[in-house]
Amino acid sequence: MLKSLKGITFGVVAAALMAGVAHADVTVYTAGPQSLIDKLSAGFTKQTGIKVNVFQATTGKVMARIEAEAANPVVDVLVSASWDTATDFAKRGWLVKYSSPNAAKVPDFLKTDSAVAQGISALGIAWNTKSGTPKPTEWADLTKKEYKDLVNIPDPAQSGSSFELTAALAGQDSFKLFNDLKANGAIIAGANADALNPVLQGAKAAVFGAVDYITLAAKAKGESIDVIFPASGTVIAPRPAMILNWSKNQDDAKKFIDYMLSDEGQKAVADEMLMPARTDIPANRPLISDLKLLKYDTAAVYGKRKETLAEITKIYGGK
Amino acid sequence: MKANGVTGAAPAAWLAIAGLVLVVAVPFIAVVLQGIFPNLGQGSFSGPFSSLFATLADSALIGMAGNTLLLGGCVVLASAVVAVPLGVFRALYRIPYAPFWDVVLLVPFMIPPYIATLGWIMTLQPRGYLQQLVGFNLAPFLFSLFGMTLVMAFNTFPVVYFAVSRTVEAVGSRYADVGRVFGATPARAFWRITLPLSAPGLAASLMLVFAAAIEEYGTPAALGRRAGFQVLVTGIDLRITDWPIDLPGAAILSLLLVAMSLVTFLAQRWILSRRSYQTVGGKPTAKDKRPLGALKVPVMIAFAVVAFLATGVPLLAILATALSRTISGGLSLGNLSLNNFILVFGNSAGAVGALVNSFSLGIATALITGLIGVTAAYTVVKTRMRGRMTIDVMTILPNALPGIVVAVGLILAWNMPWLPATPYNTAFILLLAYCCILLPQPVRYTTAAFQQIGDNLEAAARVFGASGITAFRRILLPLVFPSLASAMLLVFALASRELVASVVVAPVGMQTIATFIWRQFEQGSIGLGMAMAFIAIVITTLLPLLLLTLLRRSGLVAE
Repeated sequence: MLKSLKGITFGVVAAALMAGVAHADVTVYTAGPQSLIDKLSAGFTKQTGIKVNVFQATTGKVMARIEAEAANPVVDVLVSASWDTATDFAKRGWLVKYSSPNAAKVPDFLKTDSAVAQGISALGIAWNTKSGTPKPTEWADLTKKEYKDLVNIPDPAQSGSSFELTAALAGQDSFKLFNDLKANGAIIAGANADALNPVLQGAKAAVFGAVDYITLAAKAKGESIDVIFPASGTVIAPRPAMILNWSKNQDDAKKFIDYMLSDEGQKAVADEMLMPARTDIPANRPLISDLKLLKYDTAAVYGKRKETLAEITKIYGGK
Repeated sequence: MKANGVTGAAPAAWLAIAGLVLVVAVPFIAVVLQGIFPNLGQGSFSGPFSSLFATLADSALIGMAGNTLLLGGCVVLASAVVAVPLGVFRALYRIPYAPFWDVVLLVPFMIPPYIATLGWIMTLQPRGYLQQLVGFNLAPFLFSLFGMTLVMAFNTFPVVYFAVSRTVEAVGSRYADVGRVFGATPARAFWRITLPLSAPGLAASLMLVFAAAIEEYGTPAALGRRAGFQVLVTGIDLRITDWPIDLPGAAILSLLLVAMSLVTFLAQRWILSRRSYQTVGGKPTAKDKRPLGALKVPVMIAFAVVAFLATGVPLLAILATALSRTISGGLSLGNLSLNNFILVFGNSAGAVGALVNSFSLGIATALITGLIGVTAAYTVVKTRMRGRMTIDVMTILPNALPGIVVAVGLILAWNMPWLPATPYNTAFILLLAYCCILLPQPVRYTTAAFQQIGDNLEAAARVFGASGITAFRRILLPLVFPSLASAMLLVFALASRELVASVVVAPVGMQTIATFIWRQFEQGSIGLGMAMAFIAIVITTLLPLLLLTLLRRSGLVAE
């Protein structure tokens, strides 16, 4: 008994000492798809010899970790799924100013002096082609009786892009669309993946505001599902990459951003069915220029976040 | 750790205290401090108590707390209704194929709750597997308090079943037979003698079920949100993962959960302290069980129905999903594919590494929690040491701490800049997290076992000259070993699938089974996630069974 305790203590101490040894790897926290960051870090290591440590989770969980670590942060590069993170972190003065030479072909609205988009996703209607419902073309189509009880809405409280879509659409007609959807039996169904799963099996016909790249990847795998971008407009979610000012490897972190925006890095982004941030990289999917974007004032929308979510909660009940 | 061989209690107690401080007290104190000092994460102690009122004044809080208690109560009741009759029959009667039923009823333990819930959703929702097979669905029934209770009870009832069958078996029919001799009817003897004597195991297991139910995240998140049923854990999760993050609020809500769990624990202690439950007195007990007789058919049907609902349905749903080429293809021969399993074994996305990581961590967690658990339980039950109540309370704290809060507590505690060395960002932080979350299991099981062992056994050994350590090792340990071993196997299973803490605290670049599955789900690769889940369930079921068989052969475990 005592012996094993000694063993454990020794093990913990040894591991702790090992952890204390500083290494000059780049640590990346990302909300992006795991397969994308795997490809990017493998490619980066091959090109530069610098190792990449990755932590991948949802934007919320990545943020929780950064917040809890704030006393002694370890992250060098952060890739969030919500542009709001970049704005907020810049305001807190947590970001390093850097413009990558490879960012020249990134349009101005997808970069600031401290953040640059890795790729962009858009929201659309994910529709099960075998659901026996007519193909929807507009957001409002989902309030028709053919879609009664067959629509899922991702929870705007759990997804930044869903929130922006909700706020932008609700701002146009003061929540009439969402009241009509509710009257037609639509439900709020958890985060993005939770909303999509029932549509794949056919329990629901459509997701109102699904993240496009996950749906397109499912389609590429042979699922009978399609994404429709309504002509009246949708929202996009650029995924900002940024360097944290507490990073001790800022030069290597900059190299990682450069690689992410290189031809090879952007091709990896396109392969994940995301829109590449650079306009000169081709992708096998609709690009920003093909989409009509809803007009709204991001700052004002986030300023009223609490009120908007409260109204949605009132309409959809519970919570 | 200076034992000096003076008394038997001292080394065990010191070992328990050292372990508990490291595993439980450190993260718990970090959480308490976070609740008091909102800016602790930045290393600042400014603005104490400023979050307390804002959090407690939230109007949704009463609803969430009420729902939490309601759900916990319903799950306890449903688990007891399902498990107690089965457990009693298993203990007192000769059940045909008893080992088979034990294994089948063990499997629900091994199915991660979030996977089981997803399996139920995919079975019962419109156009789900049930509708594809027989033409109707039970969706309205699933997305309700009733559905949530059933899904969670089918997941947790094995705790009660095994506790009841083991303790009733240990009580045996001897005491009831004495009652019969004095003229009691069989029913009266059971209600007045056997069942009350089995109370430690029953109460301990029901308390574990309650704590697990109020702490569970996956099922309320997946089923409850649609029914408008918000519980404390989903509220905590929202505070932690919704920007701007409210760590102090989450810490305060967690302490509320801990308080709930503590109250049930004290109630259980109070019930048990009113009398003695010692039934293992060293006298030989007759092990022969009664035949079922006319009850055979109904009892067999009950076992089969429970086994099918708790094990069959989720496992079949998982397997069906894992074997589907596409989800939208549904149940058809043309859609059958082994592709997902090939991907797992082909180490796609690091699947094999995740399996190895989880199983190594599971084994280490089982060993450490078993060691701390048995010493803590011994100190609490068998010594008169001062402060043993504190030890007991410490072993119960993690029971109601949601995994995500343990994770945040660990980060806060171990990522302080002034620490010369830290387990943070190594696999050891996961080990600490799992030990903290799962420690209550071995403690509760072995405490119940120690409570049934008469003090005269240890005293007899000491009279014959055995040192305290020898008496502990040669007399007490073998007597509690069956309980300890099953608790450690349970810890292994639970640790190797823990999700919520793993996602937040996992060192960079390290995957576990649960985080692998979760990432696949997040990316829409449900089939691949389910294939991994199926493989993990099979291994976590077979590995402990193999171990038990080996132990039995070597004569370490009696039955």
